[in-house]
Parts: sequence; structure tokens; C-alpha cells
Amino acid sequence: MDHHLLEVAGTHVSRLEDLRLVTGSGRYASDWNLPGQLHACFLRSDRAHARIVSINAGSARKHPGVMRIFTGADAVAAGHTRPMTILTFKGKDGMQARVPARPALAHERVRCVGEPVAMVVAETALIAQDAAGLIEVEYEELPVVIDPEEALAAGAPQLHDSVPGNLPFEFEAGDAAATAAAFARAAHVTRLKLAVTRVAPNPMEPRACLVAYDAREGSYTVHVHVQGVNMMRKQLAAYTGVAEEKIRVVARDVGGAFGQRSLAYPEYCAQMLAAKELGRPVKWVATRSEGFLTDSHGRANFVSGELALDRDGKFLGLRLDWIADMGAYLTPTGPVSHIRNPSTCLTGVYRIPALYGRWRTVLTNTNPVAAYRGAGRPDIAYVIERLVNQAAAEIGVDPAELRRRNFIPPEAFPYKTPTGSIYENADLPGLLEKALKLADWKGFAQRRRQSETAGRLRGIGISTVIENTGAGLFPKDEVAIEVAADGAVTVYSVSHSQGQGHETTFAMIVAEALGIPTERVRLRQGDEDRPLFGNHTGGSRSTVGAGSACHLAAKKLIEQGKTLAALDLGVEPSQVEYANGTFRARDSQRAITLGDLAGAKAFSATAEGSFSSTFPNGCHIAEVEIDPETGVTEIVSYVAVDDCGRVINHAIVEGQMHGGVVQGAGQVFGEHVVYDRNTGQLMTGSFADYTMPRAGLVREIRMEEHPTPSKVSPLGVKGMGESGCTASLAALTNAVIDALRPLGIHHLDMPLTPARVWGAIQAAKSRFVRK
Amino acid sequence: MTTIEVTVNGVNYSREVEDRMLLVNLLRDELGLTGTHIGCDTSQCGCCTVHVDGRAVKSCSMLAAQANGAEIVTIEGMARNGALHPIQQAFTECHGLQCGFCTPGMIMAVAGLLKDNPDPSDEEIVHGLEGNLCRCTGYINIVKAVKRGAELLCGNGDKSSRR
Amino acid sequence: MYSFHYIEAKSLKEAGDLLAANPDAKLLAGGMTLIPTMKARLAQPSPLVDIAGLGELTGIELGDGKLVIGAATKHHDVATSGVVKKAIPALARLAGLIGDPQVRNLGTLGGSVANNDPAADYPAAVLALGATVITTRREIAAEDYFQGMFATALEPGEIVVRLSFPIPRRAAYAKFPHPASGYAMAGVFIAGTANGVRVAVTGAGPGVFRWPDAEAALAKNMNPAALDALVVAADDLNEDLHAPREYRAHLVKVMAQRAAAAL
Repeated sequence: MDHHLLEVAGTHVSRLEDLRLVTGSGRYASDWNLPGQLHACFLRSDRAHARIVSINAGSARKHPGVMRIFTGADAVAAGHTRPMTILTFKGKDGMQARVPARPALAHERVRCVGEPVAMVVAETALIAQDAAGLIEVEYEELPVVIDPEEALAAGAPQLHDSVPGNLPFEFEAGDAAATAAAFARAAHVTRLKLAVTRVAPNPMEPRACLVAYDAREGSYTVHVHVQGVNMMRKQLAAYTGVAEEKIRVVARDVGGAFGQRSLAYPEYCAQMLAAKELGRPVKWVATRSEGFLTDSHGRANFVSGELALDRDGKFLGLRLDWIADMGAYLTPTGPVSHIRNPSTCLTGVYRIPALYGRWRTVLTNTNPVAAYRGAGRPDIAYVIERLVNQAAAEIGVDPAELRRRNFIPPEAFPYKTPTGSIYENADLPGLLEKALKLADWKGFAQRRRQSETAGRLRGIGISTVIENTGAGLFPKDEVAIEVAADGAVTVYSVSHSQGQGHETTFAMIVAEALGIPTERVRLRQGDEDRPLFGNHTGGSRSTVGAGSACHLAAKKLIEQGKTLAALDLGVEPSQVEYANGTFRARDSQRAITLGDLAGAKAFSATAEGSFSSTFPNGCHIAEVEIDPETGVTEIVSYVAVDDCGRVINHAIVEGQMHGGVVQGAGQVFGEHVVYDRNTGQLMTGSFADYTMPRAGLVREIRMEEHPTPSKVSPLGVKGMGESGCTASLAALTNAVIDALRPLGIHHLDMPLTPARVWGAIQAAKSRFVRK
Repeated sequence: MTTIEVTVNGVNYSREVEDRMLLVNLLRDELGLTGTHIGCDTSQCGCCTVHVDGRAVKSCSMLAAQANGAEIVTIEGMARNGALHPIQQAFTECHGLQCGFCTPGMIMAVAGLLKDNPDPSDEEIVHGLEGNLCRCTGYINIVKAVKRGAELLCGNGDKSSRR
Repeated sequence: MYSFHYIEAKSLKEAGDLLAANPDAKLLAGGMTLIPTMKARLAQPSPLVDIAGLGELTGIELGDGKLVIGAATKHHDVATSGVVKKAIPALARLAGLIGDPQVRNLGTLGGSVANNDPAADYPAAVLALGATVITTRREIAAEDYFQGMFATALEPGEIVVRLSFPIPRRAAYAKFPHPASGYAMAGVFIAGTANGVRVAVTGAGPGVFRWPDAEAALAKNMNPAALDALVVAADDLNEDLHAPREYRAHLVKVMAQRAAAAL
């Protein structure tokens, strides 16, 4: 089944969904329209922290074409005030999360720039925009706090009365005393303070939502982008108090998500309010500028890390003090992904006998933070792998060698970490050796000399990582398969692609199980007329969860088919065999195809399964060259050896790896959301200020697979949608620091822009001069 | 209001539009051609790229009125008689798209690039893609797709040495 | 975008009359700066007078030691023009570095020069080459034309018609693009002319400026090493998130050396 190209209607394609998408026939959120629809525009706060004294919408209301203007009072009256949270576990000393209210439209107070203050609903989008410009809001400014450490300090401006100290949740993992003891007997301790910077996920499709209300049924239809319809419905219901069965979520193509599109945003809830009150559908399409302000941000973790080593370079203990900037409100996913994922992988790929981490989530006058590709896993991998590289430099050991000495050995799997995770399997030494060979680790010294001759600084960096893929919000995944009279097979799943290519991967899984051509299988994701139980696509879980359920459903379909076919063939079910789309009576020539069977009787099967985390792992090695004159870094080599378990579609897996690595590279070299410390204004509010990765940033990724199959899934797969991102932050940063280390530079925080690298080189040189 | 006449994908249209209507809104909202996407509001992302009189332009940065009398080609006009355009073909072969949102603009930009330079080097491809952002692919397979598209366009379709 | 009235001008005279009669009127050529600015509701001109199609503003002509380019000529046409490539290859190269391909397909020389964005590329070439800006009313020497950030010598109602570039003996442009916007963070155009060496810097300061020390040093020795000893004062340069002024000052020198090496 290991395909690179499929053939559909005589055309070679990597994926079944491509024919639709390359011809402009995709259907994204803003492509939906309904008869009689109105258009919404949100007036947003231009203050980071202020009391709303008054809102004067008089002239806006009179503007021709304006239907109605909604404000926070309307949201509060309707009870659209409290977003869902999945933070249900207890924190330090039994602490319960303090989840602040967040009315769908800001009420009485704004806490970050961009917060919606009023919603204008009008006959056209332009009229709504014109009218929004006529609304006058009087604010009384309040003190602003942007930096999470400052927000924790005594006397800091307080965001919510219900969250004293701006600390909604504190958590600890590991054993503080044992870790302190390990540090006490350490021969060497390496310390780094690391910023895993705040970034903007920026899927290319801006947010859009179209809500219709059916007064007879009392139900809502919400056309919006999702990562899975169920999670969206659940959140909308929780936020608005509308029963889940009264909300129908409709989505087809989703233009990227990266965790950001798993959330039910306040705007959608405000639109539900308007659609019900006005009795007409209400459409809203965000601009990119609104997206920078209000689409959830990612990462924003500030971590002090310490690694204790013995005389032989064996790791004794790891201690982290982790501050997670959550922005002005808690998102449903943010605090969980920034705590649970890092604590699950707290030991990284190493045997570290003593672990302790303390997490503080903090509220600041900034846009809320949520899961972003990797959701805490790239963050913890970055922290550990930076510490390991720094330790190697400090004790004078080759960073590859230091890893070898401390890897969890293959025979130790399944490995229970000191924080209680059970890593299923991995061959870490094998990964490392394969990557070292592919990267020509031994030849680096010579390449470095060549670069020096050309006046350039060369560096190489490793990162070896493992991560837990998501077990899911819902306890199981359900998939249905239907066969049509012509033999075409339709698969239904909740898991919703945002570019991952489920239509192809799931079709291949079902086609393999049924022994029919992949092109005969069509996937319908999140079909509103075919509700199913199951999880969204997120946390690298879809092939493991829904993919495995596809396999089970296909097997079940065959078994049910045998029973049906037995009647038709006049034999006992045990006498029916199935192969390649046809049921045959053993010992006779009689046979019936899937299609013919379906033509005679409705023929479908539904299967469900519960699938826990898998543990993909990998070793990435990056090599960079820096032009010391300009500080420009060029990635000259990137090697990725990954254990994704069994691979179903190599092209798709490669593509996911490319995308993940480059998203990491984007963060390392350019991306950074910056707020003005004094005013709380967003300084990086457009693509002209926020440096997105562009073509040429990473020219090539040389990849090899090193699978150890997983038993979590009957397919043997491991989740891999986030692996590239998890490994690349540290591999690239380690490479840059390696290049700069001869100058006495041991750490620089991302983004490693030309100006920052050049500035560091200048500062280092002047230190040398002074010495 | 201004009355404009345009040819889009070979079909003539006459519309009375608000002076401030952008070309992209004419295409999407008036003509229902939603294959052209809007990915930003500051002219950087290139999702809205179409051809106006044979040149690749960002339809979010042009007024519909400015296109009066022009011949416009959008992504919907690229495939002919049920067959993909060679550049569309190349993107599907090379896995040059994931979510597909940037893809129509990307394909239109590449069509412009290859028209000016039928056999671009890697460097020229990277320079030629400066006006288009993609968040999913890391661009590696897009660069491959441009090369493959160049091969297919010059009739070298059998040289399918993708790997 | 706010509402406005769009008028496609039939002649330069009509455009001039419309500007004279309407204080809020603005010219539209490529629109690559103006339309995004209007979309952000940062400008509210009306009427918008479209001059992109005026024949009087197009054309690339070579003669009498001068290269004359119409104001409505698009960047792409300058970048790919055989005439420009032959006469002033550095100018064609510069045009090919502006924005991105789609921007070059609409943006115009006259629009860039009239807007005088401090990070635009063209002003460096216009100033270094000692070009003349020819308007509906007069001819303005580059020296007098650029007057700092978004400011020019253009009077209300005056329209740039064409630019006349004296052909240099040699010229080169080196640009360090802003990592997000692609505008020049530092761009240096060096021209070796009959009247000496001229060095113009864009992107680094509040407006395009000449660098006399570099001109003097290169006049003695047209070699990158001639600039080694020079230091660019950072005090008056721009600063933003992406580049402190010291870095910009340094880049000016590095770009000047790279341009000198390419001469």
C-alpha cells in the first residue's frame, strides 16, 4: 500500500482531494452564502486595558442599511459569557482552575487590544464597516501589563477580580525533594532561561462564520472552519447555553488550522445572538489584521531550566520553572496544552531519574494563547534539547555522545517516566546514528573550516525528541462506511482535515482492508447529516484514532457482508469468503460483489475504537552558515530521521514533516508577536511586520524513516503531524548557537533575526576587545 | 457606481459596481468565482492572484473599476476540457498543496512566472514566489511543482523524475 | 475602504484639472501603496483619478545620453526592458527587486517616486543617477525633488510625467530587504558618472540621502575596500522592531561595499 502517487481519472495525484483544490472548487468557510444573509462587523478595542465608560452608537444605528448594533450588555443578557474549558484536573495543592468570564462582546471592561466591543449587523459588509466607524466608545484607561513575569509580581495591574494575582492555575509535576537531592549531589549543573516566543499560527484562510437560526426548531446552523464538528459544537453549546442538539455545525474545506481553529471564538457566539434576534443569517469574514489581533496565539512560554549531571555526564535531574502567558482570558485548550503535554514528556528521550516542574499560567493584557502545532511539545523539546546542548558544551563532550550516554535504551521500553507517562517504544540510538550518518556529522569540522575560510560561521545542531500524540477530548472515535449499488464506498468521520489529507489516507486504509482501488473510496468529514461520535483532528491523532476506526469499520463491513451474502449465496456465513470487493461461497462458483450486495440491501457498518497516545520520535540535525557581516543565517543542511511507526502515504508524511519543520524554522528565524510594553498595542499586526517563512527558507529536508511499529493502533501507525515542528526549534537554534559559540555566545532567544545575530556578534566582539 | 465590462475566463460580463469594490470582490461575490481567495488585507499573501490582461496581479489590491475592459483569468479558467492545466497537474503530482487555500493564487503566480521564464533556476523560483505565502507545505514541494510544471509546459511530461 | 468616486482620466490635462478642482482628489496609477492604505481606512481621497492608462505617461526611450521612462511604466516593464538592461542594467535590476512579481506587474515608476516612501527602491536610483523628474509643470532635479519622508517638491495638482536618467559609466544597486515587508531596510545605489561618483541610500533614513564620504572615498578608489574605514552615523537613521539604527547604519556600509563590488 506504500504509495507515492495515485491515479484518479487518468491523472496522477498525491492526494484524492487535490483535484478539487487545484481547480478552485474547494469550499472554505467564507465561500458559504445563504439567501437573505446579513453581514457583521466587529468594532474592536483599541485599548489594552480600560473600563468602558459609554458606547454611543446613535449615528451608527441611523446609518442606512444597519439592522442592529449589539454590545456587551446584549451578550451578558443572552448568557453568552463563559467559554468552555477542558482544564478539569487539579493543580498545585488541589487548586481548581479559575476560569474568568469572557462575554462574547466585551462588557464594562476591555482587557486586550482587539477585543470585540460592539457588533454591527447590516445589509452589506461595507455598510457594517462604515457604521462601525461611527460608533464612539469612551474608555477610562487602566494600567497595562504585558510581560507575564511582571504580571505575577506583587502590585501588578489585575485583570480579573476572580483571578487574584493574575494566576488562574498553578501546577506541579514530579518530585521536588528527590530532584533537589539530585541537584545537591551533581558534579555539574547547566542553567538556561529560555523564551519560547509568542507566535501567530496564521493559517492562510482568515476566520469566517455564517450562522442561521431556525425559529421553528429553535436550532442554529453554523458554517465555520473546524478541526472537528463535535468539538466546535460542544464549545458553542457551553459558551451560549444552547443545547448541543440544537446546533448544527457545517464545514467542508478548512484552510489550515494548527490548533487555532479548534476554538469556538466569541464572534461566533455573538453571531448566534444576532441570527436569532434578527431572524436572518449573519455572515462575518475576518480580515488578516483582525486575525493577528484576535485569532489565538501560540507558545508564549518562558522557562527557567536546570539540568544536573554527574561526573560521567549522566543526567541526574531536571528542574523547570515554567511560566505560560495565557493572554487576557483562558482559551479552552491553552492551559492544558501548555501544561499537560510538557509534563507528559518532561524527561524527553532521556533517563533522568529525578524530575520536577512547576507551571504557572498567567493572565496579561494580550490576545489569548491556545494550542499551536505541537501545543507544548515543541516547547518542552526545545527546553530539554537546548539544555542538553548547553551541558555538552559546558562539560566539553560531543553533543551526540552526551545524548548516547543518556538515551532511554531500546530494551527499556515500554518505559515509564518519573512523571508517570508510558512511552511505548523507540530506538533512540538507532535514530541518532542514522541521522549522524545522513548529516555527515564526522565531516562537519572540515566543512566548518571551509566556511571560516570564506568568512562565514558554521554550526551544527541536533535535537532528539519524543512526544505524546493526543488521546482526544472524546473517549472514542467512530467511523461509518456505506457501500453504494455501484460499489462506491463512502466513509464518514468526525476527524476533519485542515490540509493533512484525510480523504487520501483514510481512503487508502479502507481500500486496503477491502481490497479495492483507493479511488473507489470517498471520505465525508463532519457530515452534518451523519452525526458520529469522535474527536477532532489535533494533537497528531487522526490516523491513530479515526484512521484505525476506518480499518475496524472496514473489517466489520466485511463480516456483516458475509452474513448478508450468505443469504444471497445460499450458504452458511462461515462458508463465505471475501477478497477484493467480492464475496464468494467456498466450494462453489457463486459470488456477489460489494456493490451488488448493496444494491439488494442497505449495506453499511459503523465501528468505534478507543486509542491512546502514541509516541513518535525523531532525530533532526540542522547545519547553518552565518554571514557575520549581516547576521543572515542560511540553513545549509537539514536532516530528519523519524519514527512515525508504519507509514501509509509517504508523500503525505513527507509533506507534514516539511510543513512542521518550516513552521519551526519560521519561529526560530523570524516570527514573533510583539506588544508594546507600555501601551499593549500590537506591533506585529500584519504580514508586513510579522515575518512569515517564505519560499527558500528551507531548501531541502533529507529524510529517512526509522519505524518501530506501534501496537496502540491496529495499523501500526504513530501520529506525526506535529513531529517536524517539535524537533526543528531546537535543532535549528542549537545549530546557530554552535556557530556562535566560538565567539563566546551561549544563548540567544528566538527569533534569531539578522539584526539580533549581528548584534550578538558585535557585543561578543567588543567583549573580546575589552578583555 | 461605475459600469464595467470584463471578460472572465472567456465569458463577458457587464456589471454596475460600487467604485470602492475590489476586483476580488467582483470575482467572488458578484460572479461567484470563489476559487480566488482572500488571505490578507495588506497585499502580501498572494492568495487572490489572478491574471489581468496576461499579467499576474493581486486582485485584492485592484479596484474592479480599474479592470474595466480587461481580460481576466482565474483559477477556474485554468483547466480546459476536463484536463488540468500543466501547473495544476504539477501541484497534484508533487504534493505541492495541503490545505489548498493558497493554492489557486500560487498556481496563478506560477503561471505568470513560467510565462516570463519557462525554465527557472531554484533561485529564480524562490524570487518568483516572493508574493505568495503558504503555511502548510514549507514551500519545498511547491518549488518542486514549479519545476515539474515547467517540464510539463515545455512538453517534457514523460520526464517524470519526481523522486 | 471609505466610499469614493472613481474617475478614469482621459488625458493628463483632465487629471490635472480634477486635482486642481478637488482638494481631496488623489491620483491612482498602480495603486500598490494607495489601495492598501485606503483599505486600512488610513486615507479617504475622492475622487480617485486613474491615470494608469494614459499614453502620455508610458514609454521607454533612449537618446542623447539619457534614458527617459514614462511615469506610468510598470516595474516589471523596466525590469525586463532590453533598452533599460542595455543602458542602465542596475536600474533594471533594481526594478526587479521591488516588492514581488504581482506588485511589479501593477506598480509604476511615477507612483513610487511621487509617494517617496523612505524604504522604496527607486528613489535611490533617481538620486544617485542625478535624474530629472519631469512634471506637468517643470523639470525638477533629483536633488531638489526628494524632501524627506513621503515629501517631495511636487505642488498640489502637479503630476509626474516621466523621468530622465543620465546614462552612467557604471552603476550598481545592493539591497537588504526587510524580512517581512520586502521593502529596503538598507538599499545603496552607486553610480559612476561623468561628474563623479554618486552614492544614494534608501531604507535606512527618513528619506533617501546621499553619502558624501563614500562618494569621496570611491572617487579616489572605486573599490569596496575604499569604504572600510568609513563609519555611518546611526543617530538620524530609522529604527523599528526588526532593525535597531546601529544595525541599519552598519548595513548601509555593507550594502555600499556589495554594490561597489558589483560595479
